[in-house]
Amino acid sequence: MKIEDLELPKQTHEIFNILARGHFISSNGTKDGMGRLYDILNDPVNFEKLQDYFNVLRYKIEKGNNYFYFSKLNEPPSITEKKLETFEKYIDIIDLFASLDNKITIGSRFRPSEIAEECNANVRLKQKLAKIPLYRSENFLNKIREICDMLTRDSFLELEDENTETYKVLDAYSYLLDIINAITIFGQPNYSENTNDNLSDNIDININPN
Amino acid sequence: MQINTNDIISTLYYSREAIEYLFAKKDNISISQLKSEISISEEMYNRMKSLEIIYEYENTVVLNDSVINMLEDILQIGESTPGIISEYVSEIKRYISFYQETHHYRFISPLKKYLRRIDKTITREIIKLQKSIDDTYKNESNYRIKLRRLEEYREKRDTIINNIYILQNLLSENHNTLSSSADAQLFQIIQTLKQTLLENLDYLIEIQTDITDYINKIQYQLDIYQKAQQLKELKDQGLLNFSTNFHEIIEKLNPIRFNGHKAPRTKISVDTLYTDIGQQLCQKIAEKYKVSQLRYRTSAGQLNFNINEKILDHQILIDTQKLVEKFLQQKEKNLFEFILNFKFPKQIGDLTINQKLSLFVEILVQYEKQLNFSYQLKFIEITENEKTQKIGYTVILPSKERKKITTNS
Repeated sequence: MKIEDLELPKQTHEIFNILARGHFISSNGTKDGMGRLYDILNDPVNFEKLQDYFNVLRYKIEKGNNYFYFSKLNEPPSITEKKLETFEKYIDIIDLFASLDNKITIGSRFRPSEIAEECNANVRLKQKLAKIPLYRSENFLNKIREICDMLTRDSFLELEDENTETYKVLDAYSYLLDIINAITIFGQPNYSENTNDNLSDNIDININPN
Repeated sequence: MQINTNDIISTLYYSREAIEYLFAKKDNISISQLKSEISISEEMYNRMKSLEIIYEYENTVVLNDSVINMLEDILQIGESTPGIISEYVSEIKRYISFYQETHHYRFISPLKKYLRRIDKTITREIIKLQKSIDDTYKNESNYRIKLRRLEEYREKRDTIINNIYILQNLLSENHNTLSSSADAQLFQIIQTLKQTLLENLDYLIEIQTDITDYINKIQYQLDIYQKAQQLKELKDQGLLNFSTNFHEIIEKLNPIRFNGHKAPRTKISVDTLYTDIGQQLCQKIAEKYKVSQLRYRTSAGQLNFNINEKILDHQILIDTQKLVEKFLQQKEKNLFEFILNFKFPKQIGDLTINQKLSLFVEILVQYEKQLNFSYQLKFIEITENEKTQKIGYTVILPSKERKKITTNS
C-alpha cells in the first residue's frame, strides 16, 4: 500500500510533533487538544494507518496504559550514565510522592506550595527532599517546582492552571510506575503477583493508611 | 406574578450567556463577577431572579437546580441518580395494581407514560454512571476520595440492577393482566422496554468490570509506591545495582526521549520553497526575523532567445567595465555609436547587431549612475544580411561632451 493511499487523520502532523519530541500522549491530557489526539490514536483503524506511516520514518508508536509514545524502529535501546541518573532521580521523586499524606496518583491535581508545606511540617519528607540532587536549592518550594518542571518536560505532568500553579498527573505517569513494578528486588516476590489478591481487604487498609 | 412557559423559555433564551457561564462554573460566582464577565442588563438579571432561574445567597449567585438538572439530563452528564428509577418502578407498580382492580382504561395511559419514561431514564442513568466513573478515575485528585467514590458508584450500579430485576419480574408477573387490555401500543412499549433492559444489564456488567479495573489500578499504584520506597532505601544504601535488576530494566527502556534521540529537523527542499506553501513558510520566517525585503517573486516567462549561446558568451568574455571606461575617455561618439564601431578583440570576433544591442542595454542597466542620459532619441538605419532595419536608441554622451552641449545651448 502506498502512503498516499493511507488517508491519514488530519491531526497526523500534531501527533508527530508531540511524539517525535519524545513526549507521551496521555488520555487525560488537556493541553494542545491532547485528549482528542489520544482518541484518534486509540482508534484501531487510525492506529494501524499511523503506525505504517511512521514506520517509514523509522518510528514505532508504542501503546501503554492510556498513553502512547515513540520508540525507534530497528534500533536497540542504549544504556547511558544519563539514562541511569534520570531514573535514579525518578525513584527519589516517586518515593517522595509515595510518602506524602495525600498521595499523588494519576489524575491528581496539586500545587507545589502544598507539597512544600507538607515537607516543611514533616522531618522525614524534609530529609527526602534535601537528598534529591537538584539545581535550585534555595528553598523547598523551588525544589518542588524544579521537580514539577522536570516531570512536565518529560510529559508526566501538565501545568493545568498557570495562575494557581496547579499541576495535573497525566496517564503517562503510569509508565514510571510500570518501570518500578518491572524492577525485581532479588529475594522478594514481584508485586504484580499479589495485586489482585483479596482486593476489597486491601482497599480498606489503604483508605486509612495512617 | 403570572408566569407562563413562553416567559420562561424566552428568559432562558435571552439570558443564555449567563446560564452557560453559571452552568460551567457552578460554584462561588459572586454577583459582581457574573456582571463583569457577562454582558447582561440589570432588567434581565432581575427577570432571571424573579423567575427563580437564579438564586442569590449572600453575595454569590447560583443557577436553579432544576435548570442544572435539565441541562445535565439532556447532555447526559452529572451524577447518576438511581433513586428516580425506583420512583418510576413504584409508579408502574401502583398503576398496574389500579388497573388490576378496576380494569379501567384510564390507568393504562399513565402506565404507558411511566414505562416510556423508565426506558429512557435507565439508559440515561447508566450513561451518566459510566461517565462519572471514568471522570472520577481520571480526574479525582485525592486517591482516598477516588476509591470511596468508585465504591459508591458500585453501589449505584447495584441499585440500578436491582431495579431492572424488579421491573422485569413485575412485567412478567403481570403479563396476563396487561395483555387483557388489548392495547397494541402498550404491548409495543413493553416489548421495547424488555429489550432495553436486557441490553442495559449487559452494559452494567461491563461497568462493574470497569470499576473493578479502576480500583485495581489504584491499588496497583499504592503497591508500586511501597516498592518505590523499598528501592529508594536500597539506593540510599548503594545497593540498587547489586540487589535489583535496575540496570537491566533501564537498559531495555525504548522511548526516544530516554535514548538521546532528538526531534528530527527536516530540511525543506528549494523546490518546496517556490511553491505556495513554501512562500507561506518564508513569509512566516520573515515576520519572525523581521525581514522586510521579502518579495514574492513569480517565475518569469520563457526567454525568446537562447541565453546560453548569445548573451552569456559575451557577458563572460567582454569586460564591460573597461569598455565603459574607454567610452568615457573619448569625446566624439555617443554610447550606441561607440559600441557599433568599436573594434572588439579577435577572440570575440564580429558581433551581430542584436548582440551589440544587448551589450548596449546591459551597459545601460549596469552603469546607469555613471552615464549621462541626454533623454534624446536618435535613429539609425543598419543593413545586415541584406536586411535593413531602423533602430531607435537613447543618446548617451561622455560626460565632458555633455557639458559642452549644455554650455552651447
